Amino acid sequence: MNVVLSHLTDLLAGFGVTLQLTAIGFLGALVLGTVLAVCRVVPIAPLRVLGTVYVEFFRNIPLLSLLILVVFGLPDVGVTYSLFTSAALCLVLSGASFACEAIRGGINSVPIGQAEAARAIGLTFRQSLGSVILPQALRTMVQPLTNVFIGVALSSSLAAAIGVAELTNRTQQLTLRYAEAVLFFLASGAFYVVLALAGAGAGGWLERKVAIKR
Amino acid sequence: MTADRVLFDAPGPRARRRIRVFTVVSVLLFVLLVAVALRQFGQHGQLAADRWTPFTQTSYLKFLWQGLEGTLAATAMSALLAFPAGALLALLRLSLSRPVRWLATAYIELFRSVPLLLLLYAFLLALPGYGVNLPIFWKLVVPIVMVNAAVLAEIFRAGVLGLDRGQAEAASAIGLRYWPSMRLVVLPQAVRLVLPTLVAQLVNLLKDSTLGYIVSYPELMKQGNDLTVYTHLLIQAYLIIAVLYVILNFALSQLANLVERRMRRRRIQGRVAPIAGAADPVALDAPVA
Amino acid sequence: MSSTQLRRGGKRGWTVVAAAITLLGAAAGCGDSPNAPALPGASGGEGYDALIQSAPVAPTSLVDASPWASKIRAQGNLRVGGTDAGPLFSIKSLDNGELTGFDAGLSQMLARYITGKSAVKDLTTLTITTVDTREALLQNSSIDAVFATYTITPPRAAKVDFAGPYYESGDAIMTKKDNTSINSVADLNGKTVVTEADSTAALEIKKFAPNANLLLFQHDPECVAAVQQGRADAYVLDQGILVSDASSNPAVKVVGQPFTHEPYGIGLPKQDPSAKQFVNAWLQTMFTSGQWAKLWKATLGTVVQGATPEPPKIGSVPGS
Repeated sequence: MNVVLSHLTDLLAGFGVTLQLTAIGFLGALVLGTVLAVCRVVPIAPLRVLGTVYVEFFRNIPLLSLLILVVFGLPDVGVTYSLFTSAALCLVLSGASFACEAIRGGINSVPIGQAEAARAIGLTFRQSLGSVILPQALRTMVQPLTNVFIGVALSSSLAAAIGVAELTNRTQQLTLRYAEAVLFFLASGAFYVVLALAGAGAGGWLERKVAIKR
Repeated sequence: MTADRVLFDAPGPRARRRIRVFTVVSVLLFVLLVAVALRQFGQHGQLAADRWTPFTQTSYLKFLWQGLEGTLAATAMSALLAFPAGALLALLRLSLSRPVRWLATAYIELFRSVPLLLLLYAFLLALPGYGVNLPIFWKLVVPIVMVNAAVLAEIFRAGVLGLDRGQAEAASAIGLRYWPSMRLVVLPQAVRLVLPTLVAQLVNLLKDSTLGYIVSYPELMKQGNDLTVYTHLLIQAYLIIAVLYVILNFALSQLANLVERRMRRRRIQGRVAPIAGAADPVALDAPVA
Repeated sequence: MSSTQLRRGGKRGWTVVAAAITLLGAAAGCGDSPNAPALPGASGGEGYDALIQSAPVAPTSLVDASPWASKIRAQGNLRVGGTDAGPLFSIKSLDNGELTGFDAGLSQMLARYITGKSAVKDLTTLTITTVDTREALLQNSSIDAVFATYTITPPRAAKVDFAGPYYESGDAIMTKKDNTSINSVADLNGKTVVTEADSTAALEIKKFAPNANLLLFQHDPECVAAVQQGRADAYVLDQGILVSDASSNPAVKVVGQPFTHEPYGIGLPKQDPSAKQFVNAWLQTMFTSGQWAKLWKATLGTVVQGATPEPPKIGSVPGS
């Protein structure tokens, strides 16, 4: 137990990197996911195809495969990113596909009458989506997006496989030095549980705020 | 579902022309980008034939096939156990009795927040010390089931809560008590509501099996790792594994959608004849992701 | 998407899948290509099998005297913790699934010593272990011994028993072929150094080059790729593995001499002190009878240059 406490700063530093990865990953996934959701809805055929192909590919590829391809495959194509950037990039790319589906599900859950009414009063595509559909869609989107957040937070642990010095990676290094596997993994597990519960709590609070009180 | 058809007018001739131009330009740009990337790739010698042909040998293919069998077996068993367990947990969380609800909530919140990696280590290292030493297959499947049951419970619960209140009210109006109304009216419709999310979770279940290497279970990712060590052909091996996984997951979700559509068609054919001119019954459902 | 669109999308997807499978099938029809990358020093096969089968079998009284060994004989095979993807030390042959290498060979000889069996495949059962799981698996009796280039260190010796050392290796440095600025471990300061997450090299680098920037990856090929692609300036790992990598990759080279002293030991459960006695006695016979040297020649000796080294002195390292 003492060995864990004496290296708490190390673990906290790793947790900091995990938080950074989670924040960048989730926010990036939200932004890219919204763009993709819009892509899948516009009348321009190539954009719809792009959106569909993107989602199908990045939803089905395991994150570990993606990480290794980005870190070791991209340099041979000409672009070399730092390890942290590569990890963040993969989390964004992967999370965006799930976020896109969550947002699209939210959009589609809004009764069609709303969209018809928006068109009937002459709103353009951007206006009807932005002022009528999306605000109502938010209600249905919150829960799936919370799941995307938790997914990004927990899969940031895979970044350890490509050498990013986040929580799991630091735990592995400390285990290497002290051979106290169970204790260190319990400690790092506690950090992840706290992060995921915080995300779930925030999601629940948001859900309650936007719920229709009947 | 057809909100995307309603949000914009049908494009007129000028818009159609603009769209055509945009399509051609973007396709050309994309092809150019791919060509440049491939050329760079080739310049590093990664496209050389002798880096790819080893993977066509029967021994390598057999090696990969064993991994595939392992992945499919673990996924099938986990899915078979996790889905009913998730449904049960969701019902427990919606129970009328407070202690049951509290216990179910505690389980769901805990196991939704724990990384699967950690649970696998617990089963590998900590539990055998207390006498619980499962065979390798179950050391992988049981943690996957525990974690995914919690996630699935939340999905089922979202379906039940997302169903129109009127259904539950109508069920109680015709005299059904809580559990029969849940079983006969609410749950079937709730499941249909969240079916796309359930299919997506099935794909996540398969991706969870890639952690099998921790408990020494031979599945596709581990075989891929081993191949990179044997052949030193890192990019090629990982590209092939990635493609295999994408195809596998895509096939899995298409299969699940097919089964779901068959079930729905059979149910509709058995009862009410569709009204002539009514919208396609499929369109009325929740969006198919 | 309407149902027709979905069906079309699904059909399109299936066409792609069908095309991919046909291509794969056609390619597979090409049969075995002669360009299969040969595994240096781990070709297995009849010569290797014969070497294992020529190893001695213990007299029954010796096995009876050790509860650990008696249990293994009753089991019929040795439950080994290690890896099946470690070049030169413990690697699985894709053709017949057999485990070959220096560590693997020693574990198979020990299994034969205790059980007396001849079929090499039946001698050991492998459980993949990593740095995180080795000690715990020995402690909870899931495995009987660890053969995994397991460096003997005092903190580890507090949790498990070590028989040996059975080999003394050292860490060396690998760089890009045209890199002239790194010739010894002192040059690593300020450079980016990569190594395997599971190895003790990570700790050693901190000792010898405290200002080096350390990167950790999971597997050997990834570390080599990192050096080749310029992500890292140098790769530090056990000399034998680095030499084997460099022999098949013209873009990298190994520089300098090993700068650390890595004594490898056989991990054994602390619960039964007879295990360490038994295995140390067996190791001594392996050293004196020349079996150890023959195994070295058949595995590590195929890539590491120079004459066969002398076997180490058992118990010469703190912790053993």
